[in-house]
Amino acid sequence: MSYAIEAIGLTHYYAKGTQQQVAAVDHVDLAVERGELVGMIGHTGSGKSTLISHFNGLLKPSEGKVLVDGVDIWRDKETLRQSRFKVGLCFQYPEYQLFEETVYKDIAFGPGNMKLPKEEIDARVRRAAEFVGLTPALLEKSPFDLSGGEKRRAAIAGVMSMEPEVLIFDEPAAGLDPRGRKDLMALIRSYRAETGSTVIIVSHSMEDIASLADRVVVMNQAKIAMQGTVDEVYSQGDALRAMGLNVPDITEIFARLHAQGLPVPTNIYTVADGVRALQALGGRWRA
Amino acid sequence: MIGDITIGQYYAGASVLHRMDPRAKLAATFWLIVVIFLCKSFFALGLITLTAIVAVLLSRVPLKMIFRSLRPIVIILIFTAVLNVFYNKGGATYWEWWKITVTEKGVNTALFTMVRIIVLVVISSLLTYTTTPTMLTDGLERLLSPLKVFKIKVHTLAMMMTLALRFIPTLIEEIERIMNAQKARGADLETGGLLQRAKALVPIFIPLMVSAFRRAYELAFAMTCRCYTGGEGRTRMKQMKLAARDVLLLIFCAGITAGVLVLNHFFTAVI
Repeated sequence: MSYAIEAIGLTHYYAKGTQQQVAAVDHVDLAVERGELVGMIGHTGSGKSTLISHFNGLLKPSEGKVLVDGVDIWRDKETLRQSRFKVGLCFQYPEYQLFEETVYKDIAFGPGNMKLPKEEIDARVRRAAEFVGLTPALLEKSPFDLSGGEKRRAAIAGVMSMEPEVLIFDEPAAGLDPRGRKDLMALIRSYRAETGSTVIIVSHSMEDIASLADRVVVMNQAKIAMQGTVDEVYSQGDALRAMGLNVPDITEIFARLHAQGLPVPTNIYTVADGVRALQALGGRWRA
Repeated sequence: MIGDITIGQYYAGASVLHRMDPRAKLAATFWLIVVIFLCKSFFALGLITLTAIVAVLLSRVPLKMIFRSLRPIVIILIFTAVLNVFYNKGGATYWEWWKITVTEKGVNTALFTMVRIIVLVVISSLLTYTTTPTMLTDGLERLLSPLKVFKIKVHTLAMMMTLALRFIPTLIEEIERIMNAQKARGADLETGGLLQRAKALVPIFIPLMVSAFRRAYELAFAMTCRCYTGGEGRTRMKQMKLAARDVLLLIFCAGITAGVLVLNHFFTAVI
């Protein structure tokens, strides 16, 4: 069976043919399995955003290929068009894409472009709205009257309503408070559990990725520097730091506790794991 | 791509023209443009063309850049040349076919107009090549300041121009971002008839307006927080000072004007 998304030797040059030519993505090979949740991390300018913009054909590779369901998306115009619907891309600060008179119409924009029957569009809009936690009353409001958090949810629903096979989020929690961040991560988790879709999350937050991802891909200087499970990647703290990244604070704390002789594990990547590890320790060790 | 548009087209350098006071350069540019239209004979036009060439050499702006600024007017040039060749009749006839005749006067007028337009564009683009947009608006503010007598808010106008120039690249970036977001939702911006394409712009235009207003509010707040209250009593960090070379430039312009008038007088007028 083919991969959900596969990049083969994917390269993208900016300012091609001039002296300023730079490879933003440099011969990247990546295969994403169906139903997998991939976390992508990397320093600003490492090429993450450029890479994901190739997955639904917003950017055309300078070299190499992008396969969706085993088909090259640049094969012909129709394949390219379909790839936009198969691969949903939710950009950073998606609330800035809202434009319709009502939230309902905005969420219906994507499915409408897919030329679906009216009833199907209606069903999808309501499903997506319910999923992100927008009440039916909000659907009739102007998107510009919503609160910041609601706007973000409405915009995400606008991508979800296309019911793509692969959903990509670029910094979904940027600019949200800790509570909003947590809610959003829970939303992504349950979306994936319910629909079984493939999800790719691009984020700076090592902790968010740790709590969600099956596999972590680390981008550095236009190339994939590391990939593997959360454990495999996060255990290489020094290599990550060399790329301008860092392990989560909680991992750092546990590493130091361990160094001071406390019998704690060092593979702790989320606060929840940390609490559990301390509780397990609680009975045996007293200061 | 949209991102390739360059506006302001400043070419960084340290030539005499770069170092001149923006007020002097603005005044000289307008002056020379008027002189271009005063030219009547080929010799007068030759003098102003020579001036433009000397100015280009002095500015040390590569010729490639100068030609680039001429590229957008190629169509206008051809159009005016063709019209002039056919609509002006007089003198010897060079070529005749059916109702079309090409005469000496036609060819001369066409040539004259073409050179005139080229010199006009070269001189005015030299101004933007050697002066940063900020300097330009500052200079304009100072030059227009006598209009304050008529209660025209010159400073506000200049500030608006500076800000507008500053935000062009930002807005271009914003348009690209919004276009990508809507394309990702299947918006089709490339196909369809005129009406359909105009309709397809709505999802781009509305978010752009919303964000432009948001930016404007934010900028206004930021400026207020830095105690900006408008032009009244505002001083400058970089004071503009007229140097000897600026005065010389204006004297030079006066010389060219005199030269053009004299040459017009002694040689036959083309236009």
